[in-house]
Amino acid sequence: MLAEQRCAVGDRLDVYRKRMNDVGSSWKRSALVMVTLIVGVTLLIWAGVRNGRDRKLAMQRAQDQQNSQAALIPDAATRAGGDSGNGITPQLQGKAAPEFSLVDLSGKKVTLAELKGKPVIVNFWATWCAPCKIEMPWFEEFNKKYSSQGLVILGIAADPIGKSAISKTAEKLGVTYPILLVDDKVEAAYGGINYLPQTFYVDKSGKVMLETAGLNGDSGGKDEIEANIKKLMNAGGQ
Amino acid sequence: MKLAVLVLLAALPVVQEFGSLDPTPVRTHQFVAYQSEQLVVKAGKTAMLELRFHVEDGYHVNSHLPKSELQIPTKVELVAENGVKVSTASYPAGNLYVPSFDPNEKLDVYSGQFTVSVPVLASAGNHELKGTLKYQACDRAACYPAKTLPITVIFTAK
Repeated sequence: MLAEQRCAVGDRLDVYRKRMNDVGSSWKRSALVMVTLIVGVTLLIWAGVRNGRDRKLAMQRAQDQQNSQAALIPDAATRAGGDSGNGITPQLQGKAAPEFSLVDLSGKKVTLAELKGKPVIVNFWATWCAPCKIEMPWFEEFNKKYSSQGLVILGIAADPIGKSAISKTAEKLGVTYPILLVDDKVEAAYGGINYLPQTFYVDKSGKVMLETAGLNGDSGGKDEIEANIKKLMNAGGQ
Repeated sequence: MKLAVLVLLAALPVVQEFGSLDPTPVRTHQFVAYQSEQLVVKAGKTAMLELRFHVEDGYHVNSHLPKSELQIPTKVELVAENGVKVSTASYPAGNLYVPSFDPNEKLDVYSGQFTVSVPVLASAGNHELKGTLKYQACDRAACYPAKTLPITVIFTAK
């Protein structure tokens, strides 16, 4: 009887111990899950905040970079200054003018080589360039005035708009000197033509005596262009 | 356990808010900058995205409707993505610009700040639209070949 009672008590104790163990391991499991979740959520929030901060910094960096790039653009006032009539860093001045072979609006081939021995003005322009269209009637005037003395003026349309629009624009401006159609090679050879108008004064020996970009001052620089032409006529020997 | 899952679900929007958007929404260019900002529009309704641009001091770009057909207009193009329908942009009127070297020439330009409005119909959530601003800039003495500025427009539809 006593032995049976002892057995029953022992069984109850075993059940109790088992339950206690189950409760303990359940609590441990819950605590572990909670800790994992808290750590996980903390990490996610931290990553989010950090990403947000990085994003703001990236935006700021992009703006700063943009500002610094813009500061690299040569200002018109700078371009128009300097002893050569422009402030750009001349890339070709004093060097042999790059050869080219282009076609004019009538389809005739024109090469720079065939003009060696003559002073040549190579003027890059475009239909959408307002300052270019100011200069071109001046070049026409100087073409009439100095062509008898050997001056050759060539306009190169750095414009993908097409021959018809280029032709109409030249006609509207009263230009009769040859207008040539650009190709990638000539643009690259003359420094990429990153601004317009851009003009190269090529002397009789085939060297670039002067290169200019943009108009000069409020008047546009017509007198200066004529002074450059006079200088060009006497440059390069003969 | 259920509580923990709820906590995690509650934290997700916070994480989404900060973490799901990629950095570097702005690309750089020489004459015009896109002023990237966090835009918020109403979800499920046509709403305007106001895109702000800044033209570098000393320069101007043609407006969307320049006075001459030869001039290259400023134009924004955004590529639609899943959940976002993009309609035709509307542009501000340009300002009159008379070059100092030719008082007879009258140009219609943007300078300083200008804002382009793009109607969008977007589902709720964060969106990122890629696109471009095409423009052609000049200063008071020279002009520059037409440029394409890549832009990334980040906005939330709520």
